[in-house]
Amino acid sequence: MCYKVITMETEQFNIRMPKDLVQDLDIISKLLKVNKSEWVKTKLAEEVHQEKNKLLMELSTLYATGMITKEKVEKLVGKDIAEEMESIKLIAQKSVKHGVEHGKKLRQLHS
Amino acid sequence: MAKSFGSYILDTSAFISLESIGFLSKVLQVFSVTTTNSVIKELEAFAKHDDTYGKIAKEILKRISEFTVESCEITESIKYIEPTDNELYNLALKKNIPLITDETKLVHHAREKIEVYFTPVFLVLSIEMKQISKKEALDKLENLKNRRNWGNNIIYLVFKDQIEKL
Repeated sequence: MCYKVITMETEQFNIRMPKDLVQDLDIISKLLKVNKSEWVKTKLAEEVHQEKNKLLMELSTLYATGMITKEKVEKLVGKDIAEEMESIKLIAQKSVKHGVEHGKKLRQLHS
Repeated sequence: MAKSFGSYILDTSAFISLESIGFLSKVLQVFSVTTTNSVIKELEAFAKHDDTYGKIAKEILKRISEFTVESCEITESIKYIEPTDNELYNLALKKNIPLITDETKLVHHAREKIEVYFTPVFLVLSIEMKQISKKEALDKLENLKNRRNWGNNIIYLVFKDQIEKL
């Protein structure tokens, strides 16, 4: 069996937390026998991932319905995401066009 | 019905989307479908689990005789996508037939090189071929949105809007 080691780039991020919250974290850490920082990191990653997806979904809904432009999306979340949203919209429209044109052609051919 | 209505390459996401709304059999009856060995391996991995996707994958694999499975050498690679997707991309390039997928990253990076469409294209084709009504297509699209947890994503919103206008 071979294992691939992935080293993730990290960045220091300091936050001050209420004492009560730190005490609660200590309890969790002792009960679960896990490292406090690692546990916080995992939970934060889950929450960030979920929130990011939710917000991007809301943004893409605005973009799909024409309520926001690609330029505005780019300003908010960057060029890569804006271009990907544009691709999805274009290909969805192109898919419908293909379905209509090709479908009509096939119906005529086989009628 | 003879499969003289056109050929498409399907990836794992397309197979799962179609089977999840009970539309794969219809597509396989009408169109010639090709996929890769890597897609079959992905479906076999899903099928090992007893969850929703596992059950869907098992149903797809039961139909393996109804479509073509082939390998394709990767001669041109897109660096942002998985090897499985690169194989599908190369197959679409080699055969010059459209790739059907719901993987947005694959669509984004491959769209300028190959013909690529999202899975609900089969709903539009079926409306135009008078095989299903507009209402049936919209019901299936709604079902697809729920089964695939799409929410109000761009694919769903564009297809809904355009199908309603047909």
